[in-house]
Amino acid sequence: MSTNLVSRGRSLEWTRQLLRRAGIAAAVLMTAFLGSSAIRADTTPARTTSGYVTTSEMGTGSLLLKTTEPGQYLEAPRLKTDVAITVTGPIARARITQRFENPSDKWVEGIYVFPLPQNAGVDTLKMQIGDRYLEGQVKEREQARQIYERAAAQGYKATLIEQQRPNMFTNSVANIGPHETVVVQIEYQEAVRLDGDKFSLRVPLVVGPRYSPPAEALVADSSSSGMQVVAVHDPVPDRDSVTPPVINPIFGKINPVTLSVTLKSGVSLAAIESPYHDVDISRPDDKTATVSLKGPVPADRDFVLNWKLAANGVPQASLFRETIDGKSYYLAMVVPPVGTTTPHRQTREAIFVIDNSGSMAGESIRQAKKALLMALSELKPGDRFNVIRFDNTLTVLFQDAVPADAEHLLVANRYVQGLDAAGGTEIYPALKAALVDTTPNDDTRLRQVVFLTDGDVSNEDQVLAEIGKSLGRSRLFTVGIGSAPNSFLMEHIATLGRGSFTHIGSEAEVDARMTELFNKLESPVMTDLRVTTNDAKLETWPNPIPDLYAGEPVVLTGATDETTGSLRLEGRMGKKPWSTTLDLASAVDGRGVSKLWARSKISAIEDLRYQGANQGDVDAQVLKVALDFHLVSRLTSLVAVDITPSRPEHEDMESHEMPTNLPAGWDFSKVFGEDPEHPLMKASVDPALLTKLAANDKPVVASATDGVQLPQTDAGTTLQILLGTLLALAGLVVLVGTRKRAVRS
Amino acid sequence: MITKQRMAVSAAILLLFCGVVLGGHGLYIRAKAALAQVLLERAWAETIETRRPVKAWAWADTWPIARLSFPKLHRSAIVLEQAGGEALAFGPAHVAATPLPGENGTSVIAGHRDTHFNFIKDLKVGDEIEVTTRAGKAVTFRMTGSAIVHAQASGIDATGGTPRLALVTCYPFDAIGQAPLRYVVFAEEVSAAAVVSR
Repeated sequence: MSTNLVSRGRSLEWTRQLLRRAGIAAAVLMTAFLGSSAIRADTTPARTTSGYVTTSEMGTGSLLLKTTEPGQYLEAPRLKTDVAITVTGPIARARITQRFENPSDKWVEGIYVFPLPQNAGVDTLKMQIGDRYLEGQVKEREQARQIYERAAAQGYKATLIEQQRPNMFTNSVANIGPHETVVVQIEYQEAVRLDGDKFSLRVPLVVGPRYSPPAEALVADSSSSGMQVVAVHDPVPDRDSVTPPVINPIFGKINPVTLSVTLKSGVSLAAIESPYHDVDISRPDDKTATVSLKGPVPADRDFVLNWKLAANGVPQASLFRETIDGKSYYLAMVVPPVGTTTPHRQTREAIFVIDNSGSMAGESIRQAKKALLMALSELKPGDRFNVIRFDNTLTVLFQDAVPADAEHLLVANRYVQGLDAAGGTEIYPALKAALVDTTPNDDTRLRQVVFLTDGDVSNEDQVLAEIGKSLGRSRLFTVGIGSAPNSFLMEHIATLGRGSFTHIGSEAEVDARMTELFNKLESPVMTDLRVTTNDAKLETWPNPIPDLYAGEPVVLTGATDETTGSLRLEGRMGKKPWSTTLDLASAVDGRGVSKLWARSKISAIEDLRYQGANQGDVDAQVLKVALDFHLVSRLTSLVAVDITPSRPEHEDMESHEMPTNLPAGWDFSKVFGEDPEHPLMKASVDPALLTKLAANDKPVVASATDGVQLPQTDAGTTLQILLGTLLALAGLVVLVGTRKRAVRS
Repeated sequence: MITKQRMAVSAAILLLFCGVVLGGHGLYIRAKAALAQVLLERAWAETIETRRPVKAWAWADTWPIARLSFPKLHRSAIVLEQAGGEALAFGPAHVAATPLPGENGTSVIAGHRDTHFNFIKDLKVGDEIEVTTRAGKAVTFRMTGSAIVHAQASGIDATGGTPRLALVTCYPFDAIGQAPLRYVVFAEEVSAAAVVSR
């Protein structure tokens, strides 16, 4: 698969260079003979059609940087991934095996940016060299990086797993020898999602190219030296680490994945389905199922598996326990009673926000438009609404929310139908606009913001902090669109926005998912949830517990010294109080519950950052939990180093960012511009702004660093002319010599 | 005898032919380099006028981003964006990882020693270098020094500070073939004059 791709890419590039050379030769000749007007006439029409390369340089569209010379990626290591997941009850344990194959004659480092579920607790790293396994250790991020870099420099095989975002990780593998393969295994666990009576497991396989808003330079005008950049605010300080190069799908798809999921349930399983991939399902008995992909697929869209429990459906409450070193950890899943009272439909002010940036081009924008049109048709008289669309620009359709009458709905319908997708993804201004509430004290209407986006941006911190700051009475509902949405952002906008989130992965799902969403929009079915206990040592997460919308269970983790006693959950359904008591002694064994508790705690503490908590306090707590429970986090990484060096000292190592696929259904040209010259593109930012980031005055020549790499600056003409002249002269001499001899004889 | 002579003649003709082709190719590249600059001058005039990137010929994978002139040496050159790998054949090219000329930081511009930047060696400390940016702004730089560096370890830090230039070409100047060393001319901004009106 990859070999094909390589040779095809190479021959294409070669042909192109040949054509380009032939072209310039023709131009030289033409100008020489016909004068330059011919060229001029030739140039003009091309400029107006496709002559432009869309880059940030030119001030249009998405922001891009070229990373490598065409063809250079051919030397990069290749990657194969295997995913094996076992689901026991509500807990999924996954093992990801990444094989890095170095096809080149050089020693290389491969850096691969890959996604994991947003709540994955990564706790294990193994590096396989030959038939040996090396276990990775969790260290503080900086320390782990130092260990890795030292090992890499000294020729040791080493691997480093870093969290860039809760759902985006980097695996760096150093010193992969010529034609060698290094295998890295990563393990994580998470709780499966339950919505209504449906369990689901989502395995993201590709990081959608993220849009990174440019840094803003704060400029001061001082009379002596003119305008000066005094400070730079960068919403994505780590932009280089979150924008892997993306291969243009016309050059083929890379990174094949094999995947299998084993479901082990105490009760019989039903309705097992994989909505986006072809799978084989084997059923050794009715409580067990093994689902595996039919052959390898390219890593270009999320894998999803849904199933239900037959017989009596989902138990009303289930409790799992793991005891480690005398401490007991619990996972509780409680399904609130449904259908007792249909909540009274309150009138609402609905603000619909639709992302029509370039990453939505293709299938995604069709799904989003369909979903939004459906949502508009659900509005009832008495409701008010507005529509906001954003790419790197923003339009608020009506000046303020308007009544949902026929006239306004017609305007909105026409507007939505006419939307096209292009440009950057400036979600932050759109969110701010959506949270502008002109009637903050209106308690006759629920104010609900519905976001339709793939969330493929890298300024999550900036977006989430805004919610923490200015949510007010609004509630945020997210609809993650497309084949590889940023589920972390979608989920946390909803959590911090006290709403709910939904995924739509194909056009066929729009109806079903949106109907679920409308039910949720009716109003939360359970509010004011809290745990009451007489056990002072019981520590539960999340805390506070979010409101529940239709179909959602309470998912709670707890830690305590006790194995008996009870846990009482209280809440309000509408105006009626509700409570349930769980008997701790009734808990069944659940391996991995302790890590779920720790991961849930980290997530909850991290969210406090967006609500104004002291960064130092948050960091200290996150670090402690991550180290205690051997988890990768924003502040901790996994690192493994071989025991003996393998790269000889005289050999150098080249570093390669591993290319990733464009998510299925995306339009490459809408994200990266019309530039078929380059098989690889890197979403990034205006280079001019980046150079302004270092405001301090550094010496031009800093001997400590290698500095800017300089290109080859010899066209080779002197050598050619010299050699050519010599050859021609030699020829002449011989010619004259033989002539003379011929005449003489 | 005849055959021997014929062989010698054939060999001589072959040598002559190869020599003309090889030398011709070298001359052709030089001609191409010179011609490209003529076309680029025109594209540049249009760039200044329209304030938009203009390609000099339809299939170009690069476009002019600035104009350098060296008043004392009576030389000038159009600087290209190093979008593809071919830009250097047509003119000095801006090294993509560095700021644009006239912006804060060190803008690195490289040119072939045997074509566009063959006069770089004649620049003296104190010589003026005039840069016209794509926005039409004229910025005067003055040469502050030079250095001979290794291409892979130039020591040039592109970030930070006032606008600077680093003009780069191969070193030694008269050597032939590809070389690891580079000659770098450093220059600092003197003044930013008013916008050139056209």
